[in-house]
Amino acid sequence: MDKTAESIKSKFLELGVDIPLEDIVERLDKLVTKFKVPLDEARRSVITYFLKENDLDRNAFFGGQSTTPDSRSTPDVKLNGIDEGGKWVNIKAKVLQLWDSSHESVSQVGIIGDETATIKFIKWSRDTIPDVEEGKSYYFKNVVSNEWNGRFELTLNKNTVVEELDEDIEVISSPMAGAGDGQPAPMVNIADIAEDGKWVSIRAKVSQLWDNSHESISQVGLVGDSTGTIKFIKWTSADLPDLTEGNSYLFNNVVAQEWNEKFSVTLNKNSSIEELDEDIEVASSSITFAGAMVDVQSGSGLIKRCPECKRALTKGACMEHGKVDGTYDLRIKAVLDDGNTAQESILKRELAEQISGITLDDAISMAADALDQGVVLDQMRLKLLGKYFTVTGSKVDRYILVDSIEPQDGMDMEMLDELIADAEMI
Amino acid sequence: MAGYVREVSRRVFAQEFRESNLTFKDGDDQYSPQYLLTPTGAKVNRLFIVGTLIEKEDIGTDSEYWRGRVSDPTGSFMIYAGQYQPEAAQALAECETPAFVAIVGKPSTYTNAEGTVFTSVRPESISIVDVDTRDLWVADTARRTLERVKDLDNMDSNVVKAKEHYNTDKDHYSSMVREALRSLKEDL
Repeated sequence: MDKTAESIKSKFLELGVDIPLEDIVERLDKLVTKFKVPLDEARRSVITYFLKENDLDRNAFFGGQSTTPDSRSTPDVKLNGIDEGGKWVNIKAKVLQLWDSSHESVSQVGIIGDETATIKFIKWSRDTIPDVEEGKSYYFKNVVSNEWNGRFELTLNKNTVVEELDEDIEVISSPMAGAGDGQPAPMVNIADIAEDGKWVSIRAKVSQLWDNSHESISQVGLVGDSTGTIKFIKWTSADLPDLTEGNSYLFNNVVAQEWNEKFSVTLNKNSSIEELDEDIEVASSSITFAGAMVDVQSGSGLIKRCPECKRALTKGACMEHGKVDGTYDLRIKAVLDDGNTAQESILKRELAEQISGITLDDAISMAADALDQGVVLDQMRLKLLGKYFTVTGSKVDRYILVDSIEPQDGMDMEMLDELIADAEMI
Repeated sequence: MAGYVREVSRRVFAQEFRESNLTFKDGDDQYSPQYLLTPTGAKVNRLFIVGTLIEKEDIGTDSEYWRGRVSDPTGSFMIYAGQYQPEAAQALAECETPAFVAIVGKPSTYTNAEGTVFTSVRPESISIVDVDTRDLWVADTARRTLERVKDLDNMDSNVVKAKEHYNTDKDHYSSMVREALRSLKEDL
């Protein structure tokens, strides 16, 4: 801890501020000993405190001795030498890919590489750094390494200087670079897509196209082959022809991406699409489940969705977009139970209307009359709980996304006779 | 929510439920779920029953406390709903008798001074259903009970525990199921 305190002191001295060592130790000690803060966090907190006390800019401290970047104190490293987060480094590398940035705060994002490795980089819009170009090599001075989900990436910041190099940096050949070389990525089955960031090619049929409200996405939906189905995203900037639902295509050079343990493939500028004459058979992921509806969960009934992303709002706010003016929708999150399995099922608006007999308009006026949208859920529970249903749909995580639902009514006499025969055998 | 699995609603006839008296916890934690183990080895933390509400009475002194009796082809379930089951208590209060009701609830047991164990159901929800649903439930419960009776020869730990405790008579429960199914067939 004393060492940490001394290093903080000397860093501040360089900035022309003399802070008594005992003040630093005292603050550090309080955090570490009394409040069980890890030393790293405590150090950060103490630095922030004294920076504020002395009216200093954070970047002055973290970014070097002065506001003008001094790349001489930052080491030149090769990309495979990046093995911890939070390091300032200088890198000579070639821009291999530029991805489509889906967020306005990111000005450029992609992959750079040298002869040792490739790494993702991010350039923020707030920092005025000239754009880099694919295929060109640059000297990136004062960039910061970050660790994210066990992977490293480089962040360009306002102290970063980017100089274009005349030389062409040689790049390690890796799957990441595959698409850039004009080599088609390996052909795989959808079920075998299991590595984040991997370039692959697939032959698949477009089984669903979804509504999409984001202008940077041109098409989104599901594609499938005989081994499974996977979500795809086609970026507007990829400038690829539109896909038609039900047609089969060869997708060259698409990127597998993992999100919440689920994979999707993205189609970008390096991807190509060829329509196929054949009709690819898609594995049926559809399952049928019959049981009694033992719960209609909260979040069912009349809900509001974010107009941007269609997510259901919680207390009028979207997880992604904050407070928004939501649009009304109906849905049912039901638990069907057959005595051996409790199966959660999600019914979208049309099906919710069909089995509850309550239309979206009915629901809106019911809620308006009662000044409470909870009345819709109450009505649905009254109507549906305890009844037997058969649903068919696709299994996603622990849910069935229901395509069709039918009430079970009336006894199947044949089945009853079989049961009686069965009971008599024992 | 990771790792959370909703307890399945078991299907047990009233007779078997009444003849159950073995409760245990899965784990030592005070939050560990409690189970009722029935003579055929159903491990019940939640159950789904459909039957006829034949009696109801507010037996509460200060606040409402509703007792209901729900019958199936083999006997009847006692249902208790008070202030901690507001939806179910309200449903019982408003409900006419007799009526077909579907109940999702938790098993609960009470031991009297003589050491006799009484089972009852603490409902999570009560809803009015039609006769078709009631019939479907009888067939459904018959099927699940038969499955358990057949599995009585297994060495599954719950089955072993149930047989040790109840000295379960297979015929007793298979004939119960037969009677229930026959009554169902006669009605149709």
